Amino acid sequence: MILHVNHLAPGLAARASETLATLLALVEQGDTDPRHLAGLRVHLDWVQYRANFRDPVMLRRATDSEGRPLTLAEIAVDLRQTTAGEASEGLRRALASLGGEAGEVDGRLYLEGWAPLRDALLWRFNRLFWQRLADWEQASGRGFEQALPSGRSDANHPDAVRDAVADFWTLLREIDKRGQLPAEVFALELGVGTGVRAARWLDEFQALDEERGTGYYSRLRFLLGDYSMPVLERAAALLERHRDLVSVLGMDALNPLKALAFLRYRVLYVHLTNVYDNLPVDELVRRDGRLHLVEVRGYLPRAAAERIAAELGLDVAALPPLIERLLEAGPEAVGDRERGVAFWRAVWDALRLEERLRGLAGVADVPLPAGIHASHLEDLLAVAPDDVRFHLSRGALESFVNTLPLLHPRGYLQVQDIFVTSMDEYRQGFRGPGKLDGSVVNWVNGPLLHAAAARAGYDVHFAPFRYRAGSRTSILYTTPRD
Amino acid sequence: MSLLVTAVVGSYAMPAWLERAKNEYLLRRLTRHDLEEMHDAAVKAAIKDQEVAGLDVISDGELRRDNMIDYFVEKLPGVEVDHGSKKFYYDFYDAVVRGRMPTAPLGLVADFRFLRRFTDRRTKISITGPHSLVKRIRNEGYPGEEALAIDIARIMNLELRELVKAGATDIQIDEPYYSGFPEDLPWGVRAVNALVEGVNARVGLHICYGNRYGKPSWEGSYRYLFPAILEANVDVLTLEFARRGEADVALFREFNPTFELGLGVIDVKSHEVEAPSVVAERIRQALKTVPADRLSVNPDCGLMHLPRDVAFAKLASMVEGTVAVRRELGAA
Repeated sequence: MILHVNHLAPGLAARASETLATLLALVEQGDTDPRHLAGLRVHLDWVQYRANFRDPVMLRRATDSEGRPLTLAEIAVDLRQTTAGEASEGLRRALASLGGEAGEVDGRLYLEGWAPLRDALLWRFNRLFWQRLADWEQASGRGFEQALPSGRSDANHPDAVRDAVADFWTLLREIDKRGQLPAEVFALELGVGTGVRAARWLDEFQALDEERGTGYYSRLRFLLGDYSMPVLERAAALLERHRDLVSVLGMDALNPLKALAFLRYRVLYVHLTNVYDNLPVDELVRRDGRLHLVEVRGYLPRAAAERIAAELGLDVAALPPLIERLLEAGPEAVGDRERGVAFWRAVWDALRLEERLRGLAGVADVPLPAGIHASHLEDLLAVAPDDVRFHLSRGALESFVNTLPLLHPRGYLQVQDIFVTSMDEYRQGFRGPGKLDGSVVNWVNGPLLHAAAARAGYDVHFAPFRYRAGSRTSILYTTPRD
Repeated sequence: MSLLVTAVVGSYAMPAWLERAKNEYLLRRLTRHDLEEMHDAAVKAAIKDQEVAGLDVISDGELRRDNMIDYFVEKLPGVEVDHGSKKFYYDFYDAVVRGRMPTAPLGLVADFRFLRRFTDRRTKISITGPHSLVKRIRNEGYPGEEALAIDIARIMNLELRELVKAGATDIQIDEPYYSGFPEDLPWGVRAVNALVEGVNARVGLHICYGNRYGKPSWEGSYRYLFPAILEANVDVLTLEFARRGEADVALFREFNPTFELGLGVIDVKSHEVEAPSVVAERIRQALKTVPADRLSVNPDCGLMHLPRDVAFAKLASMVEGTVAVRRELGAA
């Protein structure tokens, strides 16, 4: 058995020690076949997101690429949400299951079959959240930005916006000095949030331009892009005073180039906040030199499922098709909107993921994200810890590589988000998926973006968000590679 | 010579395996000998692809080169190259010149002879021009950029003469950095003229807006070239139009230069393969300004950043579109 203490938050040493003592006692009692211990890894985690998809104690089995069971198995304990009693019971069940069949676990209502994380049901919940944001916010009584861990979005910080505007103005000035400033200056805000940032940015830009008498504001063409029309409409309403130069465009964040092909190499500034952390991911795990893809299946704990079903006067067996209708057609599919939203929120709250590790024959079998070649992954793995679990941020990469071709030769991309900036960081904590109210959050794999950017002719840099103490946000910005 | 001669600008698709090999060589995990064998194989394949695609003029695909700069700074005598300064083959070396450069052969003749050995078609060899090289070499040995460029031209001129002696008929000079530094154009043209002095070949000058990493380095209009470019002693001016649109072709009507136009009809920054009909239409539009006997057909720039299958399909489409127009002109 190998013990991984991945992150020990302050004050949790006693709980870790107690968990370990419980585990060893259970082993000593003979709750597990000693032959299984050799392939067992126990992970003590501190899961950053208080709301997440994990049970306090989770068993992960492993299979080879053909689905045949391997001796490798993992018990993951979230020290943050584990109480002594839960740990004991969870560990006992996990140890007892080590040698058993990998079938369905009693006490769980499964909502889907095994699938890579990118294809899991949770992404459909995520999409529904952004499409029906107003309904969710009405029911929760707070805006989605208030539901962030910090209670607000760093995107809107006035000083950060002011500095971003000043940097952009400086770029325009430099291009202008060389007589190369285009007649129309395109800027794109992708994933518009509440629209507060865009409004603030435009106000600041107009003020700076007027103060310096450069006449750039009138040349500005400001594009707001988002896949949720309700979100766009709400944001656009805040930009009314700039309406002559603002265009609102429905577009998929995964492929801005598709909607904006006519602007290839013409956009001087692209900005995103907290978009990449909300796009589909896969996870890769390396154990004993071998790569595994994380597969998941969503379920509701039986007790929660029974409670939700009882609220609607239904049998538990009726929940999976009802959830399917919810995700297809929205809350109204459940009955009246109010009940539908309550049902949606209850299901989301209870939703958990079971995990298993599917062995891959080699790097060539990894489902690589856009912009990444097998050689990039090999380079990344060469500098990564031997035992590592990390994101293949496929949605973020797809969006990234489909945004870069929009950039003018002097243009740049700026992304405020939560980034892992070195592969070592993946060994120091769990990086998602977590739940943010009704949406999904994952840290974004910065080294992968770095590799994809280099291939596309850009360097990426990560600057800490210095405008709020304790912020986990970083600012990614691109510069053209020489 | 047939009408609407087709050719690549210079480079052909760089195979991923060759990229990896070049990186392995930089990391000292592959010998020079093994890398050269791979270069030979890749060049032969590039030649064959161009022939099968139906091009009239064939290049070696420039597959021996890491990029358009390093291949030459490594060969130029007196330029000091820091070989530890890059880990990715496509990056640029740090290069510096600290004193007057001596005269020495550059080794391009061997490249040309290899090309000739594997094709019977007309061939073209491309070199990076003095202006672009000056922009990537730190100058600590000459009073200014023009002086360095003129001396580079002096050395390279000898190599071009050797190429002609070896049988080279078509030579192209690449000067994309003009577009980034239009204020340099007068001395840039003087350097080109020094480079081609006494070179008895059909000389082309290729000017684009950059293709580093398959994206433009600058944007603007070719208007900046005129009238200074009219002083260039070249036979063909090869420009990009497919990506940028054909508006600047009108400059050839306005200034009526003595040189021919190499018309870029293939967007090398897009993986979408142009239909032959699109190519044909682009040629027809250009023919409204430039007569057919003064027009040749090529991609916008080198194809090195495209996957091989895309590059090949684009060339085949370019040839098919060109042949269609030749037929319309009764010249097929």
